[in-house]
Amino acid sequence: MFKSLTARAIIPVTVSVTGFVIVCCILLYAIMKTDMINDVIRYETNLAQTIVKSTRYAMRHDDRESLGNIINNIGTQEGVEHVRIFNKRGLIMFSSTPGEVGKLLDKNAAGCIECHRGPVPAATLGDMQQARRFFDEKGKDVIAITAPIYNEPACYQAACHVHKAEQKILGTLDIGLSAAPLVNNLAVMRNQMVIFSVMVLLVTIGGVAALLRRYVFIPLKLLVEFTERTIQGIDQEIPPGGTEIEKLSGNIRSIVRELNSIRRENAKWKKGE
Amino acid sequence: MEERGVNHLEAEGVAPDFREKHDRLRRETLANIRKLQRKFTIELLAAALFLLLSIAALSDFAFFPSFNENIRAVLGSPPSVNMISSVLLLYIFSAILLILSRMMSGSGKYGGIGHVGYLAGFYFFYHFSGKLPENFWAVFAAGATVLGLEGYHLWIYCSEEIEREREVLAFLAGRPAGQ
Repeated sequence: MFKSLTARAIIPVTVSVTGFVIVCCILLYAIMKTDMINDVIRYETNLAQTIVKSTRYAMRHDDRESLGNIINNIGTQEGVEHVRIFNKRGLIMFSSTPGEVGKLLDKNAAGCIECHRGPVPAATLGDMQQARRFFDEKGKDVIAITAPIYNEPACYQAACHVHKAEQKILGTLDIGLSAAPLVNNLAVMRNQMVIFSVMVLLVTIGGVAALLRRYVFIPLKLLVEFTERTIQGIDQEIPPGGTEIEKLSGNIRSIVRELNSIRRENAKWKKGE
Repeated sequence: MEERGVNHLEAEGVAPDFREKHDRLRRETLANIRKLQRKFTIELLAAALFLLLSIAALSDFAFFPSFNENIRAVLGSPPSVNMISSVLLLYIFSAILLILSRMMSGSGKYGGIGHVGYLAGFYFFYHFSGKLPENFWAVFAAGATVLGLEGYHLWIYCSEEIEREREVLAFLAGRPAGQ
């Protein structure tokens, strides 16, 4: 079966096209997935900066009630899984989850270790390095980032504050967004790519198979039947075919003519005897 | 089968030097058949090697000891994932074209082990850039395509060549081909 002319024509085309389309789709999906995750992280970074800037006034005036309200309200937003601000020692000062306030974070926990890996904590980190993805205690897929709250002149020059100018970071904002919309978008994109790939494969392989059948396999089959009948001594018309097949038909016609004349000669000789 | 051929020649009174040539030709033909069978076996071994490599890559080479920081520093930073993916795409495209052109020309050349080497390179580059889990199936599909196509081509080529050699053997044995 795999050695027939049809198989030899169709199998390499099928394997080549299928393999190439699958590899292209997987690579494209991986690139698009990375791009979409990076977009979410960039969005979260901007959101974190917006929150830090929005809370700056309340921080400078040590208005903890307003700050707590801002954090709570942001936490009620759909898709926001958690928002928390913790101080330099890792103590949670404000959180959208009330039970968390006052707890101390482990420096080796995800989201902290990125800066606290070395003996001296890193003061700056790239957007992508600040991000982490995990399943929270409710089993939700979360993409979170930690954004440092820097000590600015307005902070250490204010009369009411105690921060020194040398202190670079005052605390950290940690915000986590649900990854469900991203996962849904990726699933839709994956399904669309599978449908597109199957359609491309069907069109390509179906097209090649149909054309081969129409212009090669059917004329060849007719020629095979013709030669078999000729061997049996049945006189018949040469079947039609494409240019190359017609040339082959012409050659077979000459051979058959020769064969028939030899047969007639033989018959005459036999009659003569 | 072969003895029958020799007896047949003796019965017809063939001169001894002709018989020697026939014997030599038969030995060469048998050696060619063995060579062709070995060729296809090597291709199958290459596919098996690729499967073993893929099983190791599926777990991100977790059971191998990881390089320490010094060796990593010597190796330098890995190329970007997009660059590795572009090279993988270029590799599968050119490999498919090469195998199809070999099929067209009826050449018996093959590069099974070489392909496994290239694919291992892709696995290792993705592993060192930390993106192997996302791109494992791309490399696996590329390997399955290239080795599958190469295996099919070699199977057809070896079958045809072995058939031809058997026809020579049948001729030497004084039997009609195909018997």
